[in-house]
Amino acid sequence: MKNAVECQVDIAVTVLSVAHDSALYPSGLPVCARRCEKILQTYIAVTRIACRGSTWWGDLGRRPQDFVVNPFLACYAEEYIEAHKIEEKARGKDMEDGNIRQKVRDIYGFIQDNLYLNRPDMRVGEESFNSALLFSLLTALNRGKELIIGEPGLGKTTSAEYVAAMTYQLPLGLIWASEVSGHPEQTEEKIIGRPDLGRLNQGEEVVVWSYLAQLPIKIVDEINRLPETKQSMILDGVDRGNWGYLNDVIINEEYCLFATANYQDRGTNTLIAPLIDRFDVIVESRHPGTNLALVIGMKDRYENVLRSPVYERDFQEILVEPRDYQEKMKRIEDLCDRFGDHMEKEFSVKMLSQGERKEIRDCVQEIPLDLDANAFLRTVIAELSFCFKYGQKRSDEHCEEGCHYTGFLCHHIKNCISNRFPMSVRTYSQSLAWLKGDEGVGIEHIKTVLPYTLAHRLLWKEDYIAQKQGDTRRDPFQIYLAKEMVNEVYRRYNEQSRHIKNALAVAYQALSGKDLEPIEGDHPIYAEIKQDLEEVR
Amino acid sequence: MINPFEDFKEYPYKKKEIPLDHIVRAKERVMDQIVEGYVKLVEEEVKDLVWLVENSRVFKAYSSALRTIQQVDYDSDDIEELCLEIDKGGRIPYLISGPAGIYLSALCNNAKEERIHLRLHEFKRTFHFLGYRLPEGKTLVLEGDVGDFIGAGLSGGKLIVKGSTGNWAGAGMMNGELFINEHTGQNTGGWMSGGEIHIDGRIRGIAKTILGGRIYQRGKLILPHDMTARE
Repeated sequence: MKNAVECQVDIAVTVLSVAHDSALYPSGLPVCARRCEKILQTYIAVTRIACRGSTWWGDLGRRPQDFVVNPFLACYAEEYIEAHKIEEKARGKDMEDGNIRQKVRDIYGFIQDNLYLNRPDMRVGEESFNSALLFSLLTALNRGKELIIGEPGLGKTTSAEYVAAMTYQLPLGLIWASEVSGHPEQTEEKIIGRPDLGRLNQGEEVVVWSYLAQLPIKIVDEINRLPETKQSMILDGVDRGNWGYLNDVIINEEYCLFATANYQDRGTNTLIAPLIDRFDVIVESRHPGTNLALVIGMKDRYENVLRSPVYERDFQEILVEPRDYQEKMKRIEDLCDRFGDHMEKEFSVKMLSQGERKEIRDCVQEIPLDLDANAFLRTVIAELSFCFKYGQKRSDEHCEEGCHYTGFLCHHIKNCISNRFPMSVRTYSQSLAWLKGDEGVGIEHIKTVLPYTLAHRLLWKEDYIAQKQGDTRRDPFQIYLAKEMVNEVYRRYNEQSRHIKNALAVAYQALSGKDLEPIEGDHPIYAEIKQDLEEVR
Repeated sequence: MINPFEDFKEYPYKKKEIPLDHIVRAKERVMDQIVEGYVKLVEEEVKDLVWLVENSRVFKAYSSALRTIQQVDYDSDDIEELCLEIDKGGRIPYLISGPAGIYLSALCNNAKEERIHLRLHEFKRTFHFLGYRLPEGKTLVLEGDVGDFIGAGLSGGKLIVKGSTGNWAGAGMMNGELFINEHTGQNTGGWMSGGEIHIDGRIRGIAKTILGGRIYQRGKLILPHDMTARE
C-alpha cells in the first residue's frame, strides 16, 4: 500500500503530465508551471546536497525530473527529506546506543569470564545474570550506591573493583589506593582529607584531599566495621558527593559508591539507618560453587591485565597536585581516555569513557515506565508506608490487634519505606531495561530490581522473622524475605491490576476537576488514593 | 499543584458504581422511553390543540400508544412513576388528559404483571380513561378518585376503583367487571354491551343507551330492570 507521500507524488506527476501535454498547451508550459519548474530545479539541487547524494526520489520509485514539475510537490518532497533526515538521525542514535550497550555487555562478559567467576543467580526474561555483577555494573552506570554483603573472601570487594576499573577507565592499582577500609581506628583524615602540613607550617590552611574524596569511584571496604559514630562522617559525601574538611569543600559531579559488609560478628557494628537507606541496592557476593571455586583456585590472577603501574603513577601525580579540583578532574579524564585507549590497543579490553557513561545515563533517563510497572510500584509503596490507624508507618508505633490490613505487608514491617526507595527502583529498572535493549520498563524489570532495593531498607517484625526463618532458601535471609514479599505483592496486584489502574485514572480525573468518587477496594492503595483526593478537595 | 496521577491521564477509566446505580440507570432509561413515547403520542394527537373524545380518535390514540410501548421493557412501578411524572409535569411538556389516560391504559394492558395497583390519591391531577380496554386476566386497582371514561371499552379485565369516578364510567364496556367503591358521575355504563358494574356509593346518572351488561348498586342489581324483576 502506498503511503501519503507516494500518493501525493502520483497525483503531482499526473498533474505535471497534463501540464506538459502539448495538445492542451500548444505554446508550451503555462507561465506558472515554468516558474515552478525553475524553483523546483533549485530546490532539487539544494536537497540533493542536503541528502549528500542520496537518491531519496529513488525510494519513491521516481526520477528527479518527476519532481521538477509540480509546485505542490515541493512541500511533500521537503517533508519526505525531513522525515528521512530524522529517521537517519534516529537510526544513527540507535546504532550508537546499540554499540555502547554492546560495549557494556562485553564488559559484563569479560568480567564474568575472566575476573569474577560466579554462577548466575537471577533471570531477566530469557537471560541469566549474576546479581552481584549485574547490580555492580548498573551501580557504576547509574551513579548509584551498592552494599555488597557476603562471607570473607568471596569477591565482594574485587567484583566492585573490576567493574569500577572497566566502567571508569581507571587502573586497578589506583582503585586499590583510593579504597577506605572500615575499622574502629579509622579517621576523617584518612577518609576525606588532611591539612597540608608543610603549608600549615607556613600559616596556610590547605586541604590535601584523599583519593576516595576525589575519584568518582568510591569503595568502602567492610563498612560495618566503622563504629556507628564514624559512619556519619561519610554520610554527606555518600549522599550528595560533597566532601568537606576544614573550610574547604569539593563536589563530585559523577560518582558511585560500593561498600562491602561482612555478616555480623564480634567486630562488626550495625549500619546506622540514615546510611543504610542511602544505599540503592544490596547484593550478596556468593560462593561460586565447588567446581567454579576450583577453577578460580587453579587460575592465574588475571586481574593484572587491569593494572598499569605507569598509568597509576601518572594518575597519582595529578591527584596530589595542589590544583583546583575541577581542573584536576579534567586532567584525570584525559588520562582516563588515554588509559582506555591503551587497554584497547594492548589487550583488546574496551572500557567506558565519561562521554559514553553520560550518553548511557541520558538514554536510561528517557526510558518510560509502562502503566503496569507504575501501578505495581505504587502498590508496593502503599503496602510499605500505609497505616490505617496512625496515617502512616512509624518505627515507634505498633499495629493494632485485629486491624483490617493484617494480611498486607504494613503489618509485617516496623518502619516506613523512604522516598529514596522509588528513586532507586526507577533508576535501576530503567538501566536494566536499557541493558536488555527494551523500549520501556515493564513489570518484569520492576520485579527483578525490587528485592535488591528493598532488602536492606525493611525492618521486619520478630514474629514474621520467626515464621520465615526455617524456610529452605538460597538467598541471604533479608534478600529472601524481600523476594517473598515482592511475589506476595505481585500476586495481589495481579488479582486487581485493572481495578488499581482504574482507581488511579479516576483519581487523575477527579483531581483535574471532574466530579468523580474515588474507587474503593481492599488494598492500602485505595485508601492512599482516597486520602490524596480528600486532602486536595 | 502536581497531579500525582498524571501518568494515568490517558488510561480509560470507569466510574465507581454500586448495584443501585445500575438499577437506577436502567429505571431511568425505561422511564425516558416511556416519557418519550407519551410525548410522541401527544404530539401526534393534538396538532389542533383540542382533543375530542370520539371513538375513532380514542382508538387511533390507543393503537399509536401500543406501537410506541412495544419495545419498552417496563413494569407496574414504571406506570406509577409515569403517573407521578404526569402529575409533576416536569418532564412532560404538555398534558392532555385524554391521551395521557389512554397511554396509561395501554401500558397497564400490556404490562407483565396480571395485577396492577396504582396509588393515585396523592396526585393533584385527575386521570381519565384509566382501564380502557382492560383485557381478560388483568386486574387494575386504582386508589383514589379518578376522572371520566374509567373502564371504557373494558374487555374482560377486572377494574377496581377505591374512590369515586367521573362521568361515563364503564362506557362501551364489553366484558369484565368494574367495581367502584364510592360514587359515579353521569352516563354511567353508556353504550355498554356486556360485563358488570358494581357501585357502592351514589350514581349520579345512568346512561340512556345501554346495550347489555349489568349494573349493581350496593350489591343490588339495578340494570336491567326486567332481569331484577325476574330474579
